[in-house]
Amino acid sequence: MNLRLIILLLVVLLVSCTSQRSTDPGQPGSGITLTYWSATNAQELEFANKVSAEWNAQHSEVQIKVEPVPSGQSSEEVILAAIASGTTPDIYANVFPGAMQDLLDARGVVQLDDYPDFMDVMRGRMTQELLNQYRSSDGHFYQVPWKSNPIMVLYNSRMLREAGISSLPTTYSEFLSAASRVTRDRDGDGQIDQWMLTIDYYPIWYKRLFDYLPLYLATSNGQPLLEGRKVMFDNQSSVAIFRFLHECFARGYAPRQTFQGDVILDGRVAAKFVGPNSIGHLERYRSADFEYDYGPILRPDEATGQPVSYADPKSIVIFKTCQHPREAWQFIKFIISRQNDLKLLELSSQLPIRAGLLEDQTFADYFKRNPKLVKFAAQVMTARSIESVAELKEIFDAIAQEVEASIVFDLKSPEQAVHDAARRSQQILDVE
Amino acid sequence: MKRFLLYAILTVGALVFLYPFVWMLAATLKPELEIAGFNPLSSHFTLENYRFVLQKLPILRGFGNSLLVSIAVTTSVIVFGSMVGYALSRLHFRGRDLVFNLALATMMIPAQLTLIPLYTMMVKFGWVNSYLALIVPTMMSSYAALLFRQFFQSVPQSLIEAARLDGCSDWRILFTIVFPLSKPAIITVAILTFMGIWNDVLWPLMVIRDERLMTMPLMVTLFAVGGQAEARLGAQLAAATLLALPVIGAYLFLQRHLIESIATSGMKN
Amino acid sequence: MQPEEANKFSTLSKAAAILRIPLHGVAKVLRSRDGLHDQKDRVGYLMVLPYILHITIFLGYPLAFAFVLIFHRWNIYTPMKWVGLGNIKLLLTDPLVWKALINTLYFLLIHIPLQLVVALGLAQLLNQKIRGRAFFRASYFMPVVVSGVVVTMLWQQLYASETGLINVLLQRVGLPGIGWLTDRRYAMPAIAIMATWKNVGLYVVLFLVGLQGISRDLYEAAELDGASAWQNFRLITVPMLNPTIMLVLVLSTIGGFSLFIEPYVMTGGGPANSTLSGILYLYKQAFFFSKMGYATTVGFFWAMMIFVVVLLQRRFVETEAV
Repeated sequence: MNLRLIILLLVVLLVSCTSQRSTDPGQPGSGITLTYWSATNAQELEFANKVSAEWNAQHSEVQIKVEPVPSGQSSEEVILAAIASGTTPDIYANVFPGAMQDLLDARGVVQLDDYPDFMDVMRGRMTQELLNQYRSSDGHFYQVPWKSNPIMVLYNSRMLREAGISSLPTTYSEFLSAASRVTRDRDGDGQIDQWMLTIDYYPIWYKRLFDYLPLYLATSNGQPLLEGRKVMFDNQSSVAIFRFLHECFARGYAPRQTFQGDVILDGRVAAKFVGPNSIGHLERYRSADFEYDYGPILRPDEATGQPVSYADPKSIVIFKTCQHPREAWQFIKFIISRQNDLKLLELSSQLPIRAGLLEDQTFADYFKRNPKLVKFAAQVMTARSIESVAELKEIFDAIAQEVEASIVFDLKSPEQAVHDAARRSQQILDVE
Repeated sequence: MKRFLLYAILTVGALVFLYPFVWMLAATLKPELEIAGFNPLSSHFTLENYRFVLQKLPILRGFGNSLLVSIAVTTSVIVFGSMVGYALSRLHFRGRDLVFNLALATMMIPAQLTLIPLYTMMVKFGWVNSYLALIVPTMMSSYAALLFRQFFQSVPQSLIEAARLDGCSDWRILFTIVFPLSKPAIITVAILTFMGIWNDVLWPLMVIRDERLMTMPLMVTLFAVGGQAEARLGAQLAAATLLALPVIGAYLFLQRHLIESIATSGMKN
Repeated sequence: MQPEEANKFSTLSKAAAILRIPLHGVAKVLRSRDGLHDQKDRVGYLMVLPYILHITIFLGYPLAFAFVLIFHRWNIYTPMKWVGLGNIKLLLTDPLVWKALINTLYFLLIHIPLQLVVALGLAQLLNQKIRGRAFFRASYFMPVVVSGVVVTMLWQQLYASETGLINVLLQRVGLPGIGWLTDRRYAMPAIAIMATWKNVGLYVVLFLVGLQGISRDLYEAAELDGASAWQNFRLITVPMLNPTIMLVLVLSTIGGFSLFIEPYVMTGGGPANSTLSGILYLYKQAFFFSKMGYATTVGFFWAMMIFVVVLLQRRFVETEAV
């Protein structure tokens, strides 16, 4: 008798603990409400709100509700957790294409090339070659490539000018030569206090997306890092990059110590690898006499043609939990319409992935007012996306470990470091 | 001379173990720029660091969470541990030896091996970000059970027989007769369990993401490691001091009991 | 049991378990025949039922599941993928796992001797007839109860290159400052010194108990034979303290292999992975890369390493009980 009571209580306890979550069936009544998650920064939220307000005014039967993506260890983890618990929104506009494989494995996203007009709309925006970079491993499309943030080199123009450098470097040797003139001891206390390049060398995987990856794309002229599940970056291009970065640290062109505050704005360091999303920050916090410009991503001397950089892109997806994916697709087409691409530029200085930005009359006025973005806009069609494998983070972690070991701590030669990074990455991929 | 040397060494030792805490407390009461100074006293006494911490962190709530979890687990470990200890030492039932050996065997299971599987279970149960994840997996202890068993074996059988003759159930015997006689064992288990749960950071780090549910040590850890402190040394040390204060306070009261408990359990081993 | 670093509770219990390998327990199971009235059995069953249930769910199942996870790739949210021996192969060729192991052994190489010398030394001194023994004992013990986070944050400041107390003191006596946490040769020793500072009080107490248990007669007999103080120490004290020394060894080893919060807060595992610990690496694999299968494999390997090291210690250090 006692025993049965205890067992009953235990069962009740266990059942109440493993609670089920129910998905919101949507608003009662005839209208459809779609939830749209946007990145949390102020500019994108503003964009999301304005776009959905405009849509809502024109479409009473399909209303859009904007929510900032919930916070967590990383937005990818938040999304995966949401998929697992069935609490995903209908539309999410901040997907890192490198993470698409995870979303696919979780069976969380809607296949978009099912829609008859998908391919037409996409081909209207970009070349087939660029579009193919966003194709998933099963040959289908699950994402709408939305915005691009091509990586270039930011320079403090005044510092270059004062060092007697008249044109922005374009190759490794030009950069190193400029570095030797910029790096110096300003106040004569025996210690260098002005450097050429700042690199965050802590072995955090996504930091290498902004230096190693764009340099690799530029140096190898757009070669992919992986082909299927085979590592392809164990080559001279990687060695050249490691050697270049090693030079920067060995000769003291890049500081090892960390500083408080922004070293570029402080005039401590002259150059940094960034995308156009740096413009907003620079404009907001710069002093009156701070001048800056952007040079192309660096390449070896022998390189020809236009440099290929990393696009740091973001895409839009529809989650499988969406009850009205067709309507969601209509809304997405609205997000990427010409007018809203302009809005994106105006509100957040981010570049839509759209061909002919500089030729299109719609944007002419914007680029006239924001000349700094022209160089970036010119690369939107050539800047590349990133491979999407489940092991992407670990591969870049392996690369980051080797960068720290060889470039900063001088523990192995550039050749050895590249080889080790490639070998480790292949071992990681070979687990399956 | 020899005695002077003896006391000198012991005193230097005491300084080495105590002064860093004094320095830390002093550093939290100085403005940011003066923290590096050797001199613990400063002309610019300020409570700014504490104000900053209290503003940024719900640290009192963290204290409450730690208290709640530690007390809940400690109580549970004592209650259920003593039950098992009593059953193993005073009752005879089929499979008693099996249970005893099971308890011994469970102590051999390395925590490193079960850490991740246990975490995935928390996710699947939906216990992540809940007190359940902090309390339930640790609410029983084989070590406590065996400690109680060992201690209860020394309780005179005659007392128990007398109670049984009076018609007491074993439950009553355990909780009304054996318990009061077992103060040393209970105190030992209580102190060791409480301390262990209070100071643990790895498990709460894994299962709690919501600031409102964080234990105090976890909160302070994330404050130090994350960007919230805005690289203000004084504030970080102030958070650490706030974390240390209740423990040091309790220590000053209980240190005799505590040290003796540790000594006796060390001796038993 | 609570899984975490330097939890005196679990480490004491594990030390107890390891030092008494219960082979006799297995024999007992095969021999147990406690057959009695079912009525009386009921209370016993009820009393142990919650406990049995608990260890089945929270110890037994995770243990079994661990052995499943080792052969799979899983990030919790997508279906598990069978990889056979893939994780094990990856582990054996993983330079960071071996680095973590070397780091840990380096840590123990500094921490254990330091701990033994300081704890035994202080215990010997305290064992004399002195006033204020309780005060001294309590001061040495205080860092033991304080949270590891507090100690880590405090020492992070003490070790600061420019402004830390330790370098300031060194410079005052004319020695150069050391990059305690920024130089990959000194980062692990720095953590080892800090860990010694934190734990030595516990071992002072344990050694005091051990010392007080050594019979006076032994020393008196030795004095009659004309033994020096050093000989007394080497031939009587140390051997008689062997059980306590083994306990210190085992507890420190388990503590060293469980390092997490110190590198996590102080160095993030750097510089150049010189302070990477096994648990920190396991944590990163699970939470930065969501590799539950591989993290469990690392955990299994790590647990095995602890077992091997403690076994070696018992083989070479432990003597028969006198």
